[in-house]
Amino acid sequence: MPIPILATKLHIPQLRPNGVMRSHLIQRLDAASHASLNLISAPAGFGKSSLLSAWHATSQRPMAWLALDERDNDPSRFFSYFVHALQTLIPTLSSASLRLIHTQPPAIEQALTNLINELSVVGSSVSLVLDDYHVIENHAIDQALSFLLEHLPASLRLIIATREDPNLPLARLRARGQLHELRSADLRFSLDEAQLFLNQAMGLALSPADVAALENRTEGWIAGLQLAALSMQQQTDRSRFIASFSGSHHFVMDYLLEEVLQQQTPAVQQFLLQTSILNRMCGSLCDALVSNGTNSGQQMLEQLEQANMFIVPLDHERRWYRYHHLFGELLRQRLQRSLAQQATTSLEQLHIQASIWFEANELELEAFEHAAAANDTERAERLIEGKRVPLQFQGALLPIMAWLQALPTNVLNQRPSLWVTAAAVWLATGQVNGIEQRLQAAEQAIDQHPLTPKLHDLIGRIAAIRGTLALSQNDASQIIAQSKRALEYLAIDNLSFRTSTVWKLGYAYQLQGKRSAAKQAYEQAISIGQRSGNLVTVVLASIGLGNLQESNNQLKLAATTYQQVLEASRQLALPAANCGAELGLARIYYQWNQLDQAEQHYQRALQAAQLLQHTDREVACYVIKARLLIAQNQLDQASLLLEQASAAAHQHRHTTQPAKIAAEQVRIGLMRGQVQQASQIAQTHQIPISQAQVFLAQQQPSAALALLQPALTIAQTNSWHDQSLWIKVLQSLALAALEDYAQAQQVLKPSLISAEPEGFVRVFLDQGQAIQNLLSHINLTTSSKNYVNQILAHFTTERMPQLYPTTPSLPEMLSQRELEILSLIAQGHSNQAICQQLHLALDTVKGHNRRIFEKLQVQRRTEAVARARELGLLNQ
Amino acid sequence: MTNQNPPANEAMQYQICLRGQLNLAWAGWFEGMQIALDANGNTLLVGTIVDQAALYGLIKKIRDLGMQLISIMPVPPTTLESDSTEQ
Repeated sequence: MPIPILATKLHIPQLRPNGVMRSHLIQRLDAASHASLNLISAPAGFGKSSLLSAWHATSQRPMAWLALDERDNDPSRFFSYFVHALQTLIPTLSSASLRLIHTQPPAIEQALTNLINELSVVGSSVSLVLDDYHVIENHAIDQALSFLLEHLPASLRLIIATREDPNLPLARLRARGQLHELRSADLRFSLDEAQLFLNQAMGLALSPADVAALENRTEGWIAGLQLAALSMQQQTDRSRFIASFSGSHHFVMDYLLEEVLQQQTPAVQQFLLQTSILNRMCGSLCDALVSNGTNSGQQMLEQLEQANMFIVPLDHERRWYRYHHLFGELLRQRLQRSLAQQATTSLEQLHIQASIWFEANELELEAFEHAAAANDTERAERLIEGKRVPLQFQGALLPIMAWLQALPTNVLNQRPSLWVTAAAVWLATGQVNGIEQRLQAAEQAIDQHPLTPKLHDLIGRIAAIRGTLALSQNDASQIIAQSKRALEYLAIDNLSFRTSTVWKLGYAYQLQGKRSAAKQAYEQAISIGQRSGNLVTVVLASIGLGNLQESNNQLKLAATTYQQVLEASRQLALPAANCGAELGLARIYYQWNQLDQAEQHYQRALQAAQLLQHTDREVACYVIKARLLIAQNQLDQASLLLEQASAAAHQHRHTTQPAKIAAEQVRIGLMRGQVQQASQIAQTHQIPISQAQVFLAQQQPSAALALLQPALTIAQTNSWHDQSLWIKVLQSLALAALEDYAQAQQVLKPSLISAEPEGFVRVFLDQGQAIQNLLSHINLTTSSKNYVNQILAHFTTERMPQLYPTTPSLPEMLSQRELEILSLIAQGHSNQAICQQLHLALDTVKGHNRRIFEKLQVQRRTEAVARARELGLLNQ
Repeated sequence: MTNQNPPANEAMQYQICLRGQLNLAWAGWFEGMQIALDANGNTLLVGTIVDQAALYGLIKKIRDLGMQLISIMPVPPTTLESDSTEQ
């Protein structure tokens, strides 16, 4: 799920006019621009960001910027912003990396590998600033960034500004000369710089002694000097101020902020304090928080900016601002103190007002954060649900988890829906453990309350989440039980839960082979999902529908469905959907014997499968690949792959793949003449079709027929059309082996007629040479004849394997004309009558007769007719 | 799963020394630690810190104020009152 990107986080702070030009530091940065990592590590207020924006303003180097905050501890969110920041400079970067980041679970390493590959072909070099990296505490991000640094292409240089050294392999980078550092000792203002700043930039005209005193008192700490300058702007006796400041032991910022605040009007003071709770602010948001005063919020912000009041514009339009972090922190402390002294406004009220403004402006994450800060549980919970997409899927997983974890158990018990929200949020992390516990806690809490419609719906949600848990274990009966319960309890208008529940039902029915029930459920899920905009479910249900069409032998329809899924899932970044659709297409192109296309779809399916943990998709891909290898007669490779697949399926306890693996192993065994081995595998797995194939190879066609007939009955009763086709092909081979050609043709003919419009090829070719004789002699209409000829053409161009002994030799092929004459003979026409009907000379007809008798090895017309009927050459 | 109190033996008394003197009104900002000022112009934060996570949280708050951290010392409860200015 893509994360909404705030442009203000990518904005490069503008250089303040009249700032002190720190040329020596800029020269050092220029000289070190080749270093993989430029680390600017110093406490708050040392001018790290200002230096970098000054460097940006003077240097020719293209620079991108990412201002980090606590929420970026989520790796998907961090790297999503990372890539977006790079795309501002390198628009050619594809969104492939972003798709990998947004998969569920995120594939960060693959995404970075992809990014590295794409960056390595970019000609020019760009720098990316990661500002405020100290907020990153997630070690997974440090590790991913270390990986990136290890393989950093020349086209990208990283710059990290931080208050503490990052957890990256700094020593190694330093040893390789790939690290350049600027630290607090480098960043402090020198006496000269302090002089320039105070007297030129701030226009204070201080004596050298006063400058030295200030520099000494602040130890060159820029934020301190800046605040001191602000305090002095309205002081008449600056020397006295400096003397008293120098004589005090007070913490510099504490002392100076007090001075600065006291020089402001009460309206400005109130504005500064009350807006300090905001991580970013704009005029109308400030208006919502601060009601008094004659100036609008926007005017106030511009006025503060002009007064150098530690306020940073976040865009070119002067719309969004924030306070300098250190200044904001000090203001918040003052706010807490001042609120404690008066009872008119509370911190909670301020946060609620902010939350209301953010919600009205559709900034749901910030609305949630202020609701949580206000301890307004009801509001916070409502905001988590989101207007369209739950907040946990919008890059807000961490703040929500932190909030839920900090809530006392009795609050959760008072509001059982919070337990369910917690379960849903944990489910979104892919951590299955602990979900059931939360659901049980929810149920216990529900029991303590009278059953309202809301709680009724909640019981439905609990069942729906349990259904999802059962889904991860492929437990069909449990999915069905929970989904039915969910549909019974869920509110009629709770479309998002209803859609996904109906889809789960379809999936479970499909697992049980109840195809028409599954189809109905999928179609319903698609229709509700389209109405309610639940695209994820629509895509998943479409995959299910495609599977069903495929097994109904509707190959062309299924291929269209899969293509549509791929089109739709392009924006959704759902590897499960991609994998399902690509696998389906691989199977279909295999069936059409277009092996190159099948191979391409297999490759893409495998890529998607490798992003999915805890599923059988990768094994499913290997089964398809084995089929492709077998078709290319690479039996050793196929066999090896199947062994690996089998071991993986066993290890992860996949339920549906082992039989599919075994079926291919049986075919390989038969092709290699290892009938005994094949027989054992077929028996172990109890696969009727494979067992029948073994019987055919053992020249026991009657035994094969005895197995196939009941299998066909089951397949036909359940409308398993794919199974029926396969069984009938084998039945016809068994009948031919018994020399019952007429019956064999009768079974095969309708199968061919139904298979033709869908273009089936491999179901015949995979039986090897044995089917060639049978197909050559089949008596069909012209259009079906063309289809059969196309299949037969493969026997002349490719070397077909031999799975079973070839059926007893059939008579040499009769020509179309000979078949025509034979059928007229069978209808009792004399040679004379045949001459007239076909406009042929009598000798010609007699010549045809002679050849027919030779080919059928008979002497007389009646014998010829009888033999032809036996061979199924005549229409019945 | 939420908000259980940590094992009692994890909580410890700490004395944290910061460069520069903070107004006493800052006490509320540091999770109820008491603020004392010493003769060298430093601030001492003294109080019970429930566990290591809380300690690191506190250190981060100090970092974000741009204050210089001079020392962190666990102190036996009995010595708290007597000689808190010894470094």
